[in-house]
Amino acid sequence: MKNLADQVLRRTALTVGLVAAMWQLPSEARDQLYGVIDNPALLTCEDQYWSGRVSEAQSCYRNLVNPGTPTAIRAEALWALGDLQGANEAFRAAVDENPNSAVIRVRWGELFKRTYQYQEAFNLFSEALEIDSNNAFAHIGAAEALAEGGGGEEVNQHMSAVMDNLTAAPGARLRGLIMLVRNSLEKDLFDDARRYLNEAKALAEDNEFLPLELHALEAALAFMTHKPYQEHIDAALALNPAYGDAWAIPGYFAMITRRYRECGEFYQKAVEIEPTHWEAHLELGQNYLRLNQVNAAREHIDTSYAGDAFNPKTINLLRLLDTFVQDMEAVSFPNPPQGPFPKLTLRLDKDETAVLADYARELAEASIDLYTERYRFTPQAPIVVEIYPNHEDFVVRSIGMPGVGILGVTFGYLFSMDSPTAQHDPSYHWGTTLWHEMAHVFTLEASNHLVPRWFSEGISVFEEWRTGPIPGRKIPLQVYKYMAEGKFLPIAQLDDGFMRPSYQDQVIVSYMQAGLVFDFIDIEYGFDKIVDMLYRFKDGVSAVEAIESVLGISAAQFDAHFKQFIEVEYGNLLGKLPVWQEDHRASFAALEEENWQEAVAAAQRAIFSYPDYVEIDSPYIAMARAYARLEDTENEFKTLETFWKKGGYEPRALLALGNRYLERGQREEALKVYRDVLWADPFMEELHIRLGDLYLEMNQAQNAIKEYQVLLALDPADKASANLKLATAYRAAGDDAKAMEHLMTTLDIAPQYREAQKLLLEMSRGSSGE
Amino acid sequence: MSRRNKLRSLSCTAAALALAPAFAHAALYVTIIQGLGGQTEYERDFTDARNKIEAASRTITDSDKVFSFNGNAATRDAILEHFKSLTAKMKEDDRAAIYLVGHGSFDGETYKFNIPGLDLTATDFKEVLESLPGRNHVLVNTSSTSGAMLEALVGTGENASNPKYVVVTATRSGAERNATQFGRFFAEALVSDTADLNKNQSVSIQEAFDYAQRAVERYFQDAGRLATEHALLRGDGAAQFNLSRLNALEFENELANASDELRALLEQRQAIDEEIESLQLRRPQLENSDYLQQLQALILRSAEINEEIEKLQSGNGGNANNGGRSGGGGIAEPFEISVPPVEIQQ
Repeated sequence: MKNLADQVLRRTALTVGLVAAMWQLPSEARDQLYGVIDNPALLTCEDQYWSGRVSEAQSCYRNLVNPGTPTAIRAEALWALGDLQGANEAFRAAVDENPNSAVIRVRWGELFKRTYQYQEAFNLFSEALEIDSNNAFAHIGAAEALAEGGGGEEVNQHMSAVMDNLTAAPGARLRGLIMLVRNSLEKDLFDDARRYLNEAKALAEDNEFLPLELHALEAALAFMTHKPYQEHIDAALALNPAYGDAWAIPGYFAMITRRYRECGEFYQKAVEIEPTHWEAHLELGQNYLRLNQVNAAREHIDTSYAGDAFNPKTINLLRLLDTFVQDMEAVSFPNPPQGPFPKLTLRLDKDETAVLADYARELAEASIDLYTERYRFTPQAPIVVEIYPNHEDFVVRSIGMPGVGILGVTFGYLFSMDSPTAQHDPSYHWGTTLWHEMAHVFTLEASNHLVPRWFSEGISVFEEWRTGPIPGRKIPLQVYKYMAEGKFLPIAQLDDGFMRPSYQDQVIVSYMQAGLVFDFIDIEYGFDKIVDMLYRFKDGVSAVEAIESVLGISAAQFDAHFKQFIEVEYGNLLGKLPVWQEDHRASFAALEEENWQEAVAAAQRAIFSYPDYVEIDSPYIAMARAYARLEDTENEFKTLETFWKKGGYEPRALLALGNRYLERGQREEALKVYRDVLWADPFMEELHIRLGDLYLEMNQAQNAIKEYQVLLALDPADKASANLKLATAYRAAGDDAKAMEHLMTTLDIAPQYREAQKLLLEMSRGSSGE
Repeated sequence: MSRRNKLRSLSCTAAALALAPAFAHAALYVTIIQGLGGQTEYERDFTDARNKIEAASRTITDSDKVFSFNGNAATRDAILEHFKSLTAKMKEDDRAAIYLVGHGSFDGETYKFNIPGLDLTATDFKEVLESLPGRNHVLVNTSSTSGAMLEALVGTGENASNPKYVVVTATRSGAERNATQFGRFFAEALVSDTADLNKNQSVSIQEAFDYAQRAVERYFQDAGRLATEHALLRGDGAAQFNLSRLNALEFENELANASDELRALLEQRQAIDEEIESLQLRRPQLENSDYLQQLQALILRSAEINEEIEKLQSGNGGNANNGGRSGGGGIAEPFEISVPPVEIQQ
């Protein structure tokens, strides 16, 4: 056992942080024992606790905290009383006393698991398995710890060790079944959930385990399948009136199915009957954040922190709330509201408000107006748009923990997204993200949050392509490969592509398929049918039922028609893709080699095969650059123009096109192109100079002022020029006081700036009547 | 632009001598040392930068005060001998600008600027700077690891002393060893309107530094790479120390052809510009409204004089450029987008 002894010694050093951290946690931070320990004295206390006789139970546990109690049982009692440091010390001592005990290591591992230290927990479960490879509780503990840390094939191995072994400890099998129920519910596999739940209930009954958690899971299943759930919650509460999880467990499933109003109600009830349910306070707080109730959110997250200061999610959210107060500001439109509430609230970083507010407002209001009409739905609350310059803040705001690659998340009337400054990916188009998320607001709210994931995503993608700031289908290249391989899913299973992806790119493939589905329905059946289907979900129908009742065809017929549609739309392209890929590569390679003629030729071939590819690495870009090098301005212009008209959005290419339009005197076209750049990169100084100058030329002084104000907000190096431009625009708008203010700023920076001096003379003579 | 420096720039012409006798004895001495390139590409870049710096320097000082070392002539002995001679020649009011264009190395203790034969070290340059008369000097080191030299010249942390000269380095420490981009952008700044942020037709150390720093940042951003160099500037007076004049030719023509009336106007404008500079220095002691009122009055007068100068010049059929400048740039050049082609996964 040297190996294990070494590990214990190592843990002594490793657990310094834990000991310091674990000072007090409530007793509900423990799960039911389900037979892992058979000490009668402890089981008496446990029975009292889990039947809701909390005071009696605490007194019982206190009686066990004495030197006469076996050390491992004393550890359990200390844990139950919330003395986690004492429990940790006692477990360590118990392991020293019983180096061959797998069970003590299992329970110590559970302590680590309940304090969010999953790796340490897993190590202890592994040690227990070294002692007793058949210890089912160690396998289940390991599976749970691994699942919390991200899952993987190892989870299945540990689960199989228990679930495939009918002689495994019933309590461990019960915990395995509970994991399977949860997992099935998370994936909307309701039949599986039903089956596992039935099995779990039978097992609990046979072994006289208290079925508290099972009642709560029954309630969750009923809620998710639109059936009455209260009776199941009542059944749990009849066994233990203080069992907060009776509400919190359905609350969790309401949260992951985006039914945030019900989620809030469930967690609220959880903390009412069990005020020390810190996790419920945390989830309730986060849910208030989703509903834009920041003060209430703060209250519950603070409460959670006071009870459990070490949950990383709590700490992340508290930091986020500090960011809300210190770094962000909310602006509402119209102000004052023309009705019971403002139409739109933007929550922006203070450093970005001056740049983003007007553009975000313009785009958001345009999308609200459009979707209100298209989806026959008038918002019943202000729509809140949060735009974060720090991607991790956005992710924490969305899911509580950092490190996830998402761009926008909609919770209902509130959505949050990355600012253009949060993304280093040059293909990030914030205008499209805003347009996409706003469509979710309408599909979620119009269906009372009952719309299936694929349907909501599909409409958002469809709206991007059809009505967004850069219309046109934008399909990532890798999706074609899967399209060619026939990887699109039957419509009845399309949600699986989002919820249960079986290959790396399946989520993006599913997004594109869902978007194409609505393109297909729109073309074949008309847009109204899409909206009719959306409203069917309000009644709790499935996607298949919605298709059958609204389109009048079976899901199988739908799939067959859709397949034909894809064949017609993309069959030709799919055959040419390998050649296109080669030409595409050759065009950029020739560009690198400064072989301009070859770059043009290769790009032409690529464009011939696939004329609609207008992403940031489009062959149009290669061709335009090559033409520019060949000083063939006419063809450069034509190439850029085609690129733009097909939905190309690369900011520098569009800026160049706008300049070419100006050179040709086509000011209206230049204006359109420059404005399109706003939705891709509003942080380009040159863009606002161009737009401001153009507005001024077109006698639109107020618009010019707006652009120059944004320019100044970007803190340009050349502040003298920026202030002079603003002064000129104010002068053109007839506001001489503001003009003089900016003119003097200019001259303070650059007293010898001749153009500014001339304007000063002009204004001075104008005011003195010269 | 500081009036004092402007007058120093005038001292390089005969006409200017008449306008500013009090500063006639002050001079700017420029030394440009091009180190070894090692590769053709670097050799070409360094030569290009040296040429630009030379040309820019001649816009602000006499050609015989611009010294350039490159190739086999750039030896340690020759360069140190040159500085000895410069030390003997320079007066207390004179200034020196020293540019190092090339590669540097740092072994953890000693910074070396790589030239044929024995290299020049940070200590060599410290001794040179300390020995030069006066205190208005600048050393611009555009080489890799040049930050190590800064450490040797002015120290670090609590031991850092305020140097009696301005030091610019392309890197923040000796650990930044990659060949730098800063030098070419600094050289470019000396001849760029964009660098001239106060529109005085001159580029100061501060303006050139800011321009180059922004350009380096953009360079790495566009290339999608982490920046491997971070330039530093230490010392006072960088904003007042001009390194080049952007409209030198027009200005010299203006002075050379000036009538008595024009000369009188130019003198008046100089006087007003000096008053503006003085007012700006006194700003902290003034109420903002009072300051702006006085500034406006002075600039208005300057503007009126400029208008009269332009009238005289256009009446003479001369160049209407009187030292002011236009804002804004022309239409963009061919755009560049560095996007690697996306692979379709097979």
